Amino acid sequence: MATSDLLILCAAGMLVSAFLMVGQRALFTTIRLYGVQSLFLGVVAAVIALSEDRHELLVTAVITVALKAVLIPWYLMRIIDRIGIHREIEPFLNVPASLMVCLGLTVVGYRVSTGFPQGGRAASHHLIGVALSMLLIGMFLMVTRKKAITQILALLTVENAVFLVAVGVTPGMPLVVELGIAFDVIVAVLLLGILVQRIVDRFESMDISRLSKLKG
Amino acid sequence: MNLLILTLAVPLIAAALGGFVGSRRFKEIVMVGGLALTFILCLLTAFEFLGGTVPSAFEEALRVDGLSALVLVLCGFVGVLSGVYGVGYLRRNEARKLVTPRMRSEFFGLIPAYVFAMLLVSVSNNLGVLWIAVELTTLASVFLITFHDKDTSLEAGWKFLVLGSLGLAFALLGTVLLYASGRGFLGEGMARLNWTRFIEAAPSLHPFTLRLGVMFALIGYGTKAGLAPMHTWKPDAYREAPSPAGVLMAVGMLNGALYCVLRIHLISKAALGPAFSGDLLLGLGLLSVLIATPFILVQWNLKRLLAYSSIEHVGIMAVGFGLGTEAAVFGALLHMTYHSLAKPVTFFSAGTLAQLHSSSNFDRIGNGTFTRAPVASGLLVLGSLIVMGSPPFGIFFSEMTILRAGFSGPHVAVTAVFLAALVVLFCGFAYQIGRLVLGPPRDPSDRRVPAPERLDISTSTAIVAAMVAVVSAFYLPAWLLALIHAASAVVGGGV
Repeated sequence: MATSDLLILCAAGMLVSAFLMVGQRALFTTIRLYGVQSLFLGVVAAVIALSEDRHELLVTAVITVALKAVLIPWYLMRIIDRIGIHREIEPFLNVPASLMVCLGLTVVGYRVSTGFPQGGRAASHHLIGVALSMLLIGMFLMVTRKKAITQILALLTVENAVFLVAVGVTPGMPLVVELGIAFDVIVAVLLLGILVQRIVDRFESMDISRLSKLKG
Repeated sequence: MNLLILTLAVPLIAAALGGFVGSRRFKEIVMVGGLALTFILCLLTAFEFLGGTVPSAFEEALRVDGLSALVLVLCGFVGVLSGVYGVGYLRRNEARKLVTPRMRSEFFGLIPAYVFAMLLVSVSNNLGVLWIAVELTTLASVFLITFHDKDTSLEAGWKFLVLGSLGLAFALLGTVLLYASGRGFLGEGMARLNWTRFIEAAPSLHPFTLRLGVMFALIGYGTKAGLAPMHTWKPDAYREAPSPAGVLMAVGMLNGALYCVLRIHLISKAALGPAFSGDLLLGLGLLSVLIATPFILVQWNLKRLLAYSSIEHVGIMAVGFGLGTEAAVFGALLHMTYHSLAKPVTFFSAGTLAQLHSSSNFDRIGNGTFTRAPVASGLLVLGSLIVMGSPPFGIFFSEMTILRAGFSGPHVAVTAVFLAALVVLFCGFAYQIGRLVLGPPRDPSDRRVPAPERLDISTSTAIVAAMVAVVSAFYLPAWLLALIHAASAVVGGGV
């Protein structure tokens, strides 16, 4: 079962990259890790497309790689370059503790994935397990980090997890819907980027824990 | 040409024209004309539905049933009101030299675009298209929230976009899981994501996957609706957005997001029985009403007060849908209608007061506004009376319908808590508005004199909106009542 091994390997790669993102403080590296994660997602889609003769999934793979492994990382790096902030400051929870929490989240993700029906594909179970774990890790990253860029990356990690479920356990989304979603995601990242630049211009920092005027 | 596609095309064209070309005068005409035409087309679409045909397009990816028709008409109505009010709003700011050409383009482009996205939500039958449409509403409204480009508006915009995107990621996961639960029973092509297909295939959906999907989708779309505990973006966004955009959020977006919630709820109901998602809605609705209570009692800002009132009302509707009996569902849909008719009055008058005083904080506006701006203050009192649910206005009756249904069902304890919260909310809202409008007039030595109130386009729009809201309490046109009945037939069961 070479295909299913390859799928599990790629899924594991995505999970590892999510863990590395949690342990990483240099923003450039975090963005590259996100790119690698998206590349793995593209490979998963391509492998399923080729091994099961579902050619519309190849389109998904191409979109994923072009958009999420190349275009979005490039855009985010350009923003960082322009505003000149390269490191995440001390997160609300330190790195070793964060990693322990994420380990727990992975167990939870895998536990939930056992409720899914046994599909035709041997690797499906692992794909869902990884996806749910990444979802939880993404949310964790979102609440514990302070830099706006890290929050965007956390959001994108959650997005990747959703797509892993979509290619892993569904018969493939209709192409029109897929294109619509891709368009929305890229516009959302674009707007987030513009907003980050405006925030940096105004507050001379992209520390979102400073955005705390609105209460009550 | 298909009427439905035309209805969607008009605001989109208006957005493109308003955003990119023409002088200020031209933009104003395009926006008002476009949105008025849109409202007429919405009405025509609804009449086509009432005439017995089901308007649809693109393999039924867009399809108008009773629920869609009701939400569509309400959205078109608030769209045209907000467009006309918006012209006046921007003119006031132009007079104070607060508007740059960039802001003008954003305003005249984004308002019709936002209306377009909300109309698309209300007619989406395909769950994928529905998700895309909801994401479009988020994207269209972000720069409306950051419109004034202040520290606080950037903060509100950031929170709105991040929380909204997270909610939408949940909703997407929910949609994907729902689709996965179909296991090939949903057929082929684009139509396999159609809501109608899900309802047909409901008995064969995989229960565990479906349950997980419904949960994620309800939380996701519930975030957009502003159901507690996912409501935290709402007060910030309502405060920072210009009033014409605020009213679109408070009515159009709220109805649209509830529409999504209901679609998911109906799939769950058809497959798993009414208890699972019904109880979830009941819980979220009650929590929303309860959470709104303390914040209304201690509120310090007029627009945030309206936001918490909107959280209260979405909670009331969710409770009605969650109770699930025929009477409760009818009450909730009636509530949606009356709320949509009444909310613009409060937003428009509050917006005018805020513009006159250059702030929406209570301490900046100061007590006793009635002596300074009698028209806006009077309208605010009238609108508040309607929105709070005082008789003889409509919201009183819709709340009574929901309460009666609650007390005659199995959820008596929940309804009792709900009633208690409503009473406190009524008093709290009345206290805040009374203090603002009637309280002792401002100290004459205070030199922050506000601009005098004028009877301009915005004020006239507010007066018209108030007339509609008052008349609707005594007379609902037969076709609107027919739409509410058709919608409650969809939500109560059957397609």
